[in-house]
Amino acid sequence: MAKVNPKFAEELKKYGSYDFYACFNCGNCTATCSLSTQESSFPREMIRYTTLGLEDEIKASLKPWECYYCGQCSTECPRNASPGELMMSLRRYLTAAYDWTGLSGILYKSLPITIIAFVLIFLGVIAFAFSVQFDLERMLHVGHLFEAIAIGTIGVVILLPNVARMWYFTILKPKAKVPFLKYVKSLGELFIHMFTQKRALGCDDNQLRWFEHFILVIGYLSLLFTTVVLNWFGTDSLFIIILGYVMSAIVFVVTIDFIRRRRAKKEEMTKHSQPSDILFVAWLFWMGFSAFLVRLFIDLDILDTNKWLYIFHLTVLAQWALVIVPFGKWSHFLYRSFAMYFARLKAKG
Amino acid sequence: MKEKIGVYICHCGGNISDYVKVEELSKMFHEEDNVVVSKDVMFACADSNQKEMIQDIQEFGLDSIVVCSCSPKLHLHTFKNVAERAGLNPSNYVQVNIREQCSWAHSDQPHEATVKAAGLIRAGINRVSYSESLEPIDISVKNTALVLGAGVAGMKAAIDLARSGTEVFIIEKDYFVGGRVAQKETLFPTETNAKQLVTSLYQEMKKYNNISLFAGASIEKVSGSLGNFNIDVKVKPRYLSPNANPQMVKQAMDECTVTSADPFNFGFKSRKAIYKNYPDAWPDVPVVIPELLENEIDYKEKFKTIFNFNEPEQILSLVAGSVLVTTGFNHYEPKEGEYGYKTIDNVITLPELNTLMELNPKQLVYNNKQVKSVAFIYCVGSRQTKGDNKYCSRQCCTSTIHTSLQLKEKYKDIQTYHLYRDIRTYGKQELMYEASSKQGDLYFKYEEKEMPVVEKVDNSTIVKVKDYLTAKMPLEIEADLVVLVTGMVPREDSAQISEFLKIPMGSDRFFNEIHPKLKPVETVIKGVYIGGACQGPKNISESVQSSMSGASKIVALLKRGTVSVDPIIARVDSDICTWCGKCAEVCDYTAIREIEVDDKRVAGVNKAVCTGCGICAPVCPVNAIEIAQYTDHEIESMIDGFLFEVDIKEGEVIQNDQHEEDESTGMKEYPQIWKEILAGIQERNTIPEIIQNTGINGDLVTYHLMTMNKYGIVSPDGMDAKEEYYYYKVKN
Ligand SMILES: Cc1cc2nc3c(=O)[nH]c(=O)nc-3n(C[C@H](O)[C@H](O)[C@H](O)COP(=O)(O)OP(=O)(O)OC[C@H]3O[C@@H](n4cnc5c(N)ncnc54)[C@H](O)[C@@H]3O)c2cc1C
Ligand code: SF4
Ligand code: SF4
Ligand code: SF4
Ligand code: SF4
Ligand code: SF4
Repeated sequence: MAKVNPKFAEELKKYGSYDFYACFNCGNCTATCSLSTQESSFPREMIRYTTLGLEDEIKASLKPWECYYCGQCSTECPRNASPGELMMSLRRYLTAAYDWTGLSGILYKSLPITIIAFVLIFLGVIAFAFSVQFDLERMLHVGHLFEAIAIGTIGVVILLPNVARMWYFTILKPKAKVPFLKYVKSLGELFIHMFTQKRALGCDDNQLRWFEHFILVIGYLSLLFTTVVLNWFGTDSLFIIILGYVMSAIVFVVTIDFIRRRRAKKEEMTKHSQPSDILFVAWLFWMGFSAFLVRLFIDLDILDTNKWLYIFHLTVLAQWALVIVPFGKWSHFLYRSFAMYFARLKAKG
Repeated sequence: MKEKIGVYICHCGGNISDYVKVEELSKMFHEEDNVVVSKDVMFACADSNQKEMIQDIQEFGLDSIVVCSCSPKLHLHTFKNVAERAGLNPSNYVQVNIREQCSWAHSDQPHEATVKAAGLIRAGINRVSYSESLEPIDISVKNTALVLGAGVAGMKAAIDLARSGTEVFIIEKDYFVGGRVAQKETLFPTETNAKQLVTSLYQEMKKYNNISLFAGASIEKVSGSLGNFNIDVKVKPRYLSPNANPQMVKQAMDECTVTSADPFNFGFKSRKAIYKNYPDAWPDVPVVIPELLENEIDYKEKFKTIFNFNEPEQILSLVAGSVLVTTGFNHYEPKEGEYGYKTIDNVITLPELNTLMELNPKQLVYNNKQVKSVAFIYCVGSRQTKGDNKYCSRQCCTSTIHTSLQLKEKYKDIQTYHLYRDIRTYGKQELMYEASSKQGDLYFKYEEKEMPVVEKVDNSTIVKVKDYLTAKMPLEIEADLVVLVTGMVPREDSAQISEFLKIPMGSDRFFNEIHPKLKPVETVIKGVYIGGACQGPKNISESVQSSMSGASKIVALLKRGTVSVDPIIARVDSDICTWCGKCAEVCDYTAIREIEVDDKRVAGVNKAVCTGCGICAPVCPVNAIEIAQYTDHEIESMIDGFLFEVDIKEGEVIQNDQHEEDESTGMKEYPQIWKEILAGIQERNTIPEIIQNTGINGDLVTYHLMTMNKYGIVSPDGMDAKEEYYYYKVKN
């Protein structure tokens, strides 16, 4: 028998949700949500779990990931209980819950700690630059190496165990019976969702947002590939150089539009941005933009006289790779697609 | 015997004439003896027809009329008025119901419906020929009202009555006024202090010297009737000397050491042997409990000047023209074990919690433990589909939610859980519900078939509920205090009050009005009104509204000094009556008593009291008593009329089938009147133009258009230029 725990709601408020107490369970939000279905209906159920503090049920649920925050539910809610923002906060909460290190939770809940981490990383980069006497060649070399190693390590040490934990919470612990063959057969679901975010198209009036997001994901992944595998900053191949320019430009141009929208606060989803959301897009922008400039300075042969630019780029990169990717919003890229995969696994037939 | 009878048989726009051959009937009764006018009319109640009836009465000198139409509930007074306007005594009017009793009831057997209608109409004609002119009875009344119960409802009504110049006796059973409201601290929705509200009502009452309050009083005997009720009131002693020194009284209250449980505060406090319900209780005269002081010799000696242990009970005989009952309600008392009440130590009721909160200004403490969480279980003792109290107590949802808001405001760190069946915070009270949700109060919905269970597990109290808002998930809630939201039930002595005043009680044992919409504060007893929560669950504003409307009814009744009552009552033929007393025995209203007529003891009917119910008439062994308008002649003639053989050929009713799928009229040719109207429509005439051009009666035009619309022959087609009338178009 589940025990009611009103304290949980207080905890969740730290992840950004608010006013959800006002919910009187009319169900308008669920009725209006274009992604909610008979088999998997939300967001009312998640609000209910939250107010009652049914943590196990929340952790076992994939529904928060099935919402793509169109905000329709919040607009329709007669009690202004902001169900959409609650779903968003649950995603933050779940990101923290999946994270075995516990750091996600700390960083989500505390902006000062996040800032301290960023400053420490900045100091680390300066210290490193100092240790190599600001030698550009060596900095570029280590930077490239760092990127490759960071991706590998974080993937194996943090992200993989976290996805495994997600699997444990949502499938193993609730005792969902999944035949092994189904794991294989459903793999397609995982990759389709990872690269296309196809589900978001189901939201009404969401075509542009989906397209931008799609381009951004492709741009970001290609940029990662271009810098890490193709060694963009070190290459002489004109094709790779141009590819890098295009990809980094895509990243910073699209993120500019994202930031513009978050600042305009016109759409429901952009009205309640948390620091974690802002940091994510801002750092994406700076990554794309600084990478673009670094290559530009290399091509103009002025990077040597402007080493600060590379130090800046490296700082952004390190902060991104050490904080935002493992413990921040980046992981939604994985959780969302795994959620769709797991949902398929749990579904009947 | 009436000799010039007018009979009007109504089509009711097809409601009757679609099944009953009204035209044929009107021809048939034309041949009847004594019937001078017999007509079938489209709408008997229409203004134009009323005018025609008045003309007929005057032109033909009709001495009585029969309208055969709908239920007398609907139009009895309409046609009585017609008679009156034409200068005919309204008692010479009879209404025959051939709609509810014939056309509607037997729509599948139109021929039989017509035969039955014929019988009923003949019965009506026979009855009206025996009718006699009756005059309303005037009764002189005393401009004095007795208000029973000095709760908010009673006090507010007393003030209104007094202000209008009526003398008021207000009788309160308790020693102090205020009723249930005095037991509360803060009231929704205005956040008024309840005790201050009682004080201000009391002070206002005191301004009127035509109000006499008797506290600690109850009624002992009631006789008499509208205009002159004789009521014996017993006033209990307070055992306090009338000229006691107030300083001494105060000192005696301070120094008193003997106490007993205090029911006013639900036993959360004890009260002294000389007490007031609460410091500001009114009237400002304490009450002494002599039994408690039996052994307090020294104390009694010290304060002997203030006590009067020999004060007797007083019996007063009051006379009042009218009575307003405002005796209020009781809190439902949960059965032992109901949700752990009395078996688990921290289960209490809502009114108990309200008192507890008042007594705990800083921290909510119960059984020496601070309360940090409260679980409310709603609808306890209300809405029992299988139990006695089927009704909703109406104010408890709001009351609970208000209490919850207060808990948070007063004690800050406190969590509430609300286990409800439905939230009924109607009207503006909904805002309180919203505020409560927003402050984090948690709501759970249970169904009567799966009631929550309260259990003691180790040292904690757990409420288990199947929550319908969480897909019936079984949930456990731990709470420091479980509060049963008890509903409202009638006062324990309501049966006695009902006995004294003869006001009927409903199956719920609250007092009954005559009609919830049309006569909401009137009872079947003339001159006796009800107001406030004695009538059923109400909040304060609803209680006060009803008692004030009772008060204004009384003012309207008593102001003129006389009242006319309906003359349809029992009358005794004193030549025949042998005063056996049988009729008096059965009369529920004690309207009959023994009188002397020409040195003979006979039954006498009190005209002000008799309701004309008719119970007495059949019990009289010598047939000496009868009811006006229901005399043996009238009833027997009706039976004869109904049994008379009727000769009506079967078939041929212009039976318009009502089934929707049957769209065609099945007519070979439209009636002439339809043809004329249709011709007008084709020329795009409006209804007034058609009336003018064809000379057909306006009601008929409308009726036939409606009928043709029903059969899909015509349909509305936009407004005319002045946007006053619809054009119709002919459909094909
Ligand atoms: C827990 C609870 C909380 C509530 N809170 C609120 C609130 O905050 N706001 C609100 O608007 N409403 C509230 N209500 C409703 C409110 O209490 C009633 O509407 C109100 O008390 C009705 O007033 P009344 O005068 O009709 O009856 P009562 O208050 O019951 O008064 C009746 C009076 O008649 C007297 N009496 C009874 N029988 C006799 C007799 N035989 N002879 C002489 N006298 C007699 C009684 O002693 C009493 O003084 C609440 C009700 C409950 C149960
Ligand atoms: S629409 Fe608002 S009030 Fe209704 S269930 Fe959803 S969140 Fe709750
Ligand atoms: S934000 Fe949109 S997708 Fe998410 S729950 Fe609300 S309506 Fe559904
Ligand atoms: S007012 Fe609310 S608690 Fe009271 S009986 Fe009605 S539904 Fe139940
Ligand atoms: S008619 Fe009814 S009320 Fe009147 S005297 Fe007879 S029994 Fe009593
Ligand atoms: S029952 Fe008849 S005879 Fe007997 S007292 Fe009544 S009216 Fe008279």
